[in-house]
Amino acid sequence: MSGWWSRLLDWLRSLFFKREMELSLIGLQNAGKSSLVNVLTTGSFHEDMIPTVGFNMRKVTKGGVTIKMWDLGGQPRFRSLWERYCRGVQAIVYVVDAADHDAVQVSAKELAALLAKPSLAGIPLLLLGNKNDIPGALGTQQLIERMGLQSLTGREVCCYSISCKVQNNIDITLEWLTKHAKS
Amino acid sequence: MAATAQDSLAPLRSGEGKKDEDREEETEYSPFYGIEKGAVLQEARIFHDPNLDPRRCSQVITKLLYLLHQGETFTKKEASDVFFAATKLFQAKDPHLRRMVYLCIKDICPGSDEVIIVTSSLMKDMNSRVELYRSNAVRVLCQIVDGQLLAQIERYLKQAVVDKSPVVAASVLVSAVHLIKHNGEIIKRWVNEVTEAAQSRQPMVQFHAVALLHALRASDRLAVSKLVTQLTRAQVKSPLAQCLLVRYVSQVIADSQPGPGGESRPFYDYLEGCLRHKSESVIFEAARAICNLRDVTARELTPAITVLQLFLSSSKPVLRFAAVRTLNKVAMSHPMAVTNCNIDMESLISDQNRSIATLAITTLLKTGSEGSVDKLLKQIGGFMSDIGDDFKVVVVGAIRSLALKFPAKQRALMGFLASVLREEGGFEYKKAIVQAILELIQEIPDAREAGLGHLCEFIEDCEFTFLSVQVLALLGREGPTTKEPARYIRYIYNRIILENATVRAAAVSALASFGARVPELTARVVVLLKRALYDNDDEVRDRATLHLTQLGGAAGGPEAICPSLQLNLAAMEGALAAYLASDDTQQPFDVSTVPKAAPEAKLPKPQGGLMAAAAAGGTAAAAGGAAAGGAAAAGSAGGAGAAAGYSSQYEAIIKARPEFASLGPLFKSCAPVRLTEEDTEYAIHAVKHVFAEHLVLQFDCTNTIAEQCLEDVSVMLDLAEAPEFEAETVLPLASMPLNEVGQCFSVLRRPAGISAGKMGCVLKFTVKEIDPSTGEAEEEGYEDEYQLEDVEVSGSDHIRPLGLANCQCSASPNIRLLCSADSLLLLLLPPPHHQLEDVEVSGSDYIRPLGLGNFRGAWESLDPATEREDDYGLGPREALQDTVETVMGILGMHPCEGTEAVPPNARSHTVLLAGQLPGDVRALVRLSFGMGADGQVAMKVVSRGDSEEASEAVHAVIQEA
Repeated sequence: MSGWWSRLLDWLRSLFFKREMELSLIGLQNAGKSSLVNVLTTGSFHEDMIPTVGFNMRKVTKGGVTIKMWDLGGQPRFRSLWERYCRGVQAIVYVVDAADHDAVQVSAKELAALLAKPSLAGIPLLLLGNKNDIPGALGTQQLIERMGLQSLTGREVCCYSISCKVQNNIDITLEWLTKHAKS
Repeated sequence: MAATAQDSLAPLRSGEGKKDEDREEETEYSPFYGIEKGAVLQEARIFHDPNLDPRRCSQVITKLLYLLHQGETFTKKEASDVFFAATKLFQAKDPHLRRMVYLCIKDICPGSDEVIIVTSSLMKDMNSRVELYRSNAVRVLCQIVDGQLLAQIERYLKQAVVDKSPVVAASVLVSAVHLIKHNGEIIKRWVNEVTEAAQSRQPMVQFHAVALLHALRASDRLAVSKLVTQLTRAQVKSPLAQCLLVRYVSQVIADSQPGPGGESRPFYDYLEGCLRHKSESVIFEAARAICNLRDVTARELTPAITVLQLFLSSSKPVLRFAAVRTLNKVAMSHPMAVTNCNIDMESLISDQNRSIATLAITTLLKTGSEGSVDKLLKQIGGFMSDIGDDFKVVVVGAIRSLALKFPAKQRALMGFLASVLREEGGFEYKKAIVQAILELIQEIPDAREAGLGHLCEFIEDCEFTFLSVQVLALLGREGPTTKEPARYIRYIYNRIILENATVRAAAVSALASFGARVPELTARVVVLLKRALYDNDDEVRDRATLHLTQLGGAAGGPEAICPSLQLNLAAMEGALAAYLASDDTQQPFDVSTVPKAAPEAKLPKPQGGLMAAAAAGGTAAAAGGAAAGGAAAAGSAGGAGAAAGYSSQYEAIIKARPEFASLGPLFKSCAPVRLTEEDTEYAIHAVKHVFAEHLVLQFDCTNTIAEQCLEDVSVMLDLAEAPEFEAETVLPLASMPLNEVGQCFSVLRRPAGISAGKMGCVLKFTVKEIDPSTGEAEEEGYEDEYQLEDVEVSGSDHIRPLGLANCQCSASPNIRLLCSADSLLLLLLPPPHHQLEDVEVSGSDYIRPLGLGNFRGAWESLDPATEREDDYGLGPREALQDTVETVMGILGMHPCEGTEAVPPNARSHTVLLAGQLPGDVRALVRLSFGMGADGQVAMKVVSRGDSEEASEAVHAVIQEA
């Protein structure tokens, strides 16, 4: 009964407060960006994903917010093109494979290079340490250290440890996102 | 491009660019009127807008594409900005906008590293349910993929080939045709699907599938033939596909070897069947294919001509044009077959479309009988003024060939030419008419007087100097031998009064020719020439003075006015070079030592001969001028490509030097080899002369430094890499003044037979500075050296061709050297040492080509024991013809029985070669070439000779190369 009520309220709210946001999902290859998109849009997780060649554009409406997601390929040849799709978005979501310790360093370097671009100044950053279901995955604190998030200034930064596979912390991610939508 | 880009600034249709209120409605502006790149690029920013307006976005893309197609270019940055902005439009669901996005990506396409960003989106569209997305995504994707990515998406594409929707299937097939260039292997795996698509009921799918099937097999003739056989039996319904098939069929027929006479052609029945097809395009294609068949017989032509005849009376202009154009071509080879259509074609003369009318006329002229000429001429005369110059030239060409065919009708035809000559027209048109009249005058004796009369009238009012000069030269040559030479004098003299300097000069020469050849006119001509003495142009005065002197009996007398230079020009050039190189230039050059050329059967082109004569006449002024005139004539002949008897010029040089008398007869002279880079201080060419036991290296030296005079010039040879040779004597060149060719020689003793090697060369000389104030060389000089390239002596230098007129080689570069005094190089003193390359002597230097009438007989007569056989792989080659020419060039032998010509598209070929080695030893070679599917060429060489050494020598030469 309460579920029914809340859905009705959501619908009513969406009629009056139509909000939308645009975000870009970036990170190294095999970090779990496309999986996150799938989880957010359809709620399901697939083991066998093919690498994204280029980008995928997905739209999802959650809690009265229409979220436009630019899911970009993470292979080296696409990294120089990230910046173009991050300009003017409401949030940059940077996904890191927390279980792949070797990749974190490269990931940190790519992130620093990206955020140094003047066109992206002030855009909030959400760092997601994916695959926390795998034993030995880095925790939030470790990620903040390894990714050098403390040194970032002039923008809102947030870090969560999530798992797309077991759908851990997806809800707080979504909550963070809807909070940053513009009305 | 710039011109078309400007059009965008102009209204589509408007009287003048005024924007009056009431005019506004009448004028129809292009929606893109006055758009600018910068503004449009600004507008493209709306692509980034979170709330897209699909309609506006489509308009902006249209503008961008419009600019692009008008020739506007985007910088790399602009292109990639627009491209990335456009990729954002993938979020819109609007199908029209999506289509524009596809087009935009295809046309703006930035670097390959950036364009891959859309791959994923396109792949998604490729599997979408919307047909429009599927087909267009496939087209774009195929344009941007690389081989690796193609392998990933191959599965989807293969499936799309047999897609239910014809749009999608056709898109994949077309894309595959483009992909085949770089990724043939992948496309080949789709054969089954493509074959299935070729049976499709959809005309477009079938058409593209047939094209792709052919493209897959294009490199394999047998497979193409098989495919065509298969397809001609299957039901190909689409007219376009059938047109394609007809073309493939005609290609297969062209490639196949013609069968023995009487046997019907393969596929002929198929082509004939196509003549009864429903679709006109197929009928026409088949008729054209039949008309283009090689050695087509009249019987084979008949059905095609019948069909084309029907087209002639069609209501569609395009059919009439196609038919008459094809018939026009056929008329050249089979005029009789086309005569049936003459009645239909006569009605086309008054066709509204001038192209059709012109083609009809020219066809009729080609097929016309003697009786219909007058009628045709009348009809043509009626519309000559309506057609463009290009077509007029065609008509004139047809008239000319008609006149040559029916000499009896020349009066009417000449009259026609004369009347069109009087009309307005451009240079090309007038030139064509004058050429036609010139040819008629030469070919038809009866037409001469009338033709000359018409030309005289023409030059009375001719705005083209070139044509006037040409006509005047002709008058000078032909006029004096006519019945009434006097009547031309007035026309020519009028030119001296009225025209520009060039024409006046030509007229003076022509007039002088009358004076020299018609004794009764001489006195009158002298009077006229005297008036030209006060002309204000130098050339005209000079000519007048010269010709007056000549007519007075001095300076060579009247004969010198129109000299007949029947000399072997190549030999003349050689003799002149030798004359300039020798020390005693005090004695005038004696032309009588130069061998006479056989009188030319027919002048290659009237103007070539005329101009040579004019040049000779104009420059044969003083005693020294005689040589210069000869050189100019030799130069123009070099241009005309008359370079026969090339060896003989060297023979003359060698014979002129007593030092070589003891060496015996000259066996062969090789083509000159350049030993210095272009544009260096000294130009040195080496010529190898092979004697029985000696090799003489002749070095043609030219000095290009104005401040220096070189003396005591000789070439030091380093024989370290040519141990078989032994230096005997060196004949230095006493002095080498600026821009004159001199020769120094080195005589080497060599063993009998074939000897090869490479010799390093160093030019040694004494430099004397020339005092710029006096132009005299200083007393003191210093010695210097100059490193040259290697001379190589090869086996083929020892082989010479026999039988047919001496070996034919290209004209020597010396001709040009002699004539071009313009290549003056002012350089500082050269450094004491220059590194140069060495001279190489290779085996082929000894081979002289030999022409044989009966190769087989000669082959059998040689001892089979001398036979040597070997196989060589030559690697991938473009075509067999080039390969054959290359190998013949390496061997320096003469092809026999016309085997040097490879049939088109042949995959295998046999060439028979004959050559002669020093000591009159013959060597015969049978070369068999084969070409694999991948373009790899293999060569089998079988050789026989008078001796085993001769036979082996051939292989040695090939291995060396």
